[in-house]
Amino acid sequence: MQSANLAPPSPQPGALIAHGLNLSFGGIEVLKGVDLDLRPGLVTGLIGPNGAGKTSLFNCLTGLYRPTAGRIALGDTGLDALSPARRAGLGMVRSFQHMALSPDLTLLENVMTGLTLSRRSGWASAFLPLPGGRAETQDAQRRAMAALDELGIAAAAHLAPPELPPGTQRLGEIARALVAHPRVLLLDEPAAGLNAVETRDLTRALRRVMHPGLIMVVVEHDMDLIMQLCDRIYVLNFGKVIACGSPAAVQADPEVLRVYLGADDE
Amino acid sequence: MDSSRKQQVAVSELVHPKGAIRSPARPLPELRNLRTWASLLVVAVLAVLPALSGSFLLYSLSLCFANALAVLSVSVLVRYGGEVSIGHSFFVALGAYSVAILEKHFGLGLWISLPAALALGFVAGLLFAIPSRRMSGIYLAVASMALALCLPELLIHMERWTGGFEGLYISRDLVPGVSKAGQRYYLALAALVLVCLALAHFRGSRQGMALLLARAHPRAAEAFGITRSWARISIFALSATLASLSGAVLAFASSTVSPNSFTLWSGIFYLVGSVIGLQGTSLIAALIGGGVITLIPQYLASAGDYVPILYGAALLIVTLVANSGSGLRRFLPGKAA
Ligand SMILES: Nc1ncnc2c1ncn2[C@@H]1O[C@H](COP(=O)(O)OP(=O)(O)O)[C@@H](O)[C@H]1O
Ligand SMILES: [Mg+2]
Repeated sequence: MQSANLAPPSPQPGALIAHGLNLSFGGIEVLKGVDLDLRPGLVTGLIGPNGAGKTSLFNCLTGLYRPTAGRIALGDTGLDALSPARRAGLGMVRSFQHMALSPDLTLLENVMTGLTLSRRSGWASAFLPLPGGRAETQDAQRRAMAALDELGIAAAAHLAPPELPPGTQRLGEIARALVAHPRVLLLDEPAAGLNAVETRDLTRALRRVMHPGLIMVVVEHDMDLIMQLCDRIYVLNFGKVIACGSPAAVQADPEVLRVYLGADDE
Repeated sequence: MDSSRKQQVAVSELVHPKGAIRSPARPLPELRNLRTWASLLVVAVLAVLPALSGSFLLYSLSLCFANALAVLSVSVLVRYGGEVSIGHSFFVALGAYSVAILEKHFGLGLWISLPAALALGFVAGLLFAIPSRRMSGIYLAVASMALALCLPELLIHMERWTGGFEGLYISRDLVPGVSKAGQRYYLALAALVLVCLALAHFRGSRQGMALLLARAHPRAAEAFGITRSWARISIFALSATLASLSGAVLAFASSTVSPNSFTLWSGIFYLVGSVIGLQGTSLIAALIGGGVITLIPQYLASAGDYVPILYGAALLIVTLVANSGSGLRRFLPGKAA
């Protein structure tokens, strides 16, 4: 069973907590005192109009942006001083709103880059076909293939991203994020560019890979996906959290209806 | 969980409508086979050539192979690092002078001086890359140019070690008893073939793929633990090691080193060779690049006044291609793997 390959080694405790995050660019406040409590085993949705600061919030969590104030911790570990690469080492991965696959690598190889941190082969194996390095490469290929298969795009494994439709590229990015069994999975508009069938498959695949140790956060404009997938939802508007709760509670929130659902007619 | 819910999509549906042009990730399998056979044929012909031809041709070809290695060192930097260097003559000279100085002053042969040249190239690559790791594009190219510019002065200044203007001779054999022309030729050929094989393997390695991702999307790479500093320092160390190897082979094959073999022009020519070979890291691409930059100056030596004009034209082409980014390169055939 393929999904067994993506199952976690063991559930890990510890929530991803953000407290009082502020972020500004040249006087423009992009995030204003954002508090987040992202629990393992729950899918958290992050919604809000364009420009609300969702991607910026992801960038703060992964360390690409330094918040001007506030603190971020994963379990007992404070993340504020850690580089993006160090946070990746703690099991935080993400997909990007704008496609970020290498055009020089096949889809399978792109997914294999998601395993970089868990691979140990040295420089000798990079230039010589040593047994250890080959075994590791084959293992990485198997795992990457399993991740592609999980998302239903194994047939595209040996094609290059520029040859693939946006939907497949998007799923490839998610496969790359999933392949290393992350502790935290941040998905930035995973259904953007996907058709209805692909979106449905994505929703199912995400539900399938969800497990009690995983913190999954999804930024998305597709309300069907959000409502089907998420256990909790944060609503962001102009850099502020204006509502937070179960899908039903958020859908019923008058403020949310006014600024977001009503206005955008999603 | 049944398998029917998994929508396995046929490959034909996955191919982008605009995807008729193959992207450079992997050439078509038939093409790859053809290329492998072509490379094997070329190696076979080159391997038996010494039995059939005169020593001047062998000498020229040995220099071609050495220059092809230098071209490869630049192509690796461009392909995996996305950066351009016009100062690689510095690292080539480092390898060449290591061989010459270790023989002249310490009586050491290639068995020791070749590994020493590799090690020195590696260290020099690190020493250049660490302070310059945040530079890119034209700034990095200019920084590398500074290396190449100071080199001849340095060599002339350190006359006691380097022989000044005159340079040094290399006369020790690698394998005593074998003809000189034969040893030079086969060492250069073996080095080139082994480097091409190693680079072909590198393309599929963890480090090679990490570098290709970092080149296309540095931020995405960082989110998977591949830092920019690691990428830059690794690729420079690799490229400089290769350049130094090419210098060591060049010194042995030509049996002489002197400052005017390592001017700024040499560095520019390596880049020209790399562009002519479409930045490929295959044997054929390297041979084309190395061949052009070795043979054209040899045959044009009689052309006299035209030489600077041709150099200028070559420089212009490089500048145009380098500045046009992927725009102009799109019209070139797929890059060699
Ligand atoms: N690097 C940056 N420099 C300046 N402004 C930025 C930067 N990143 C984001 N912003 C601004 O922050 C606001 C929120 O952007 P973003 O986080 O992308 O919103 P969302 O993902 O919710 O659509 C926008 O007004 C955007 O212009
Ligand atoms: Mg966004």
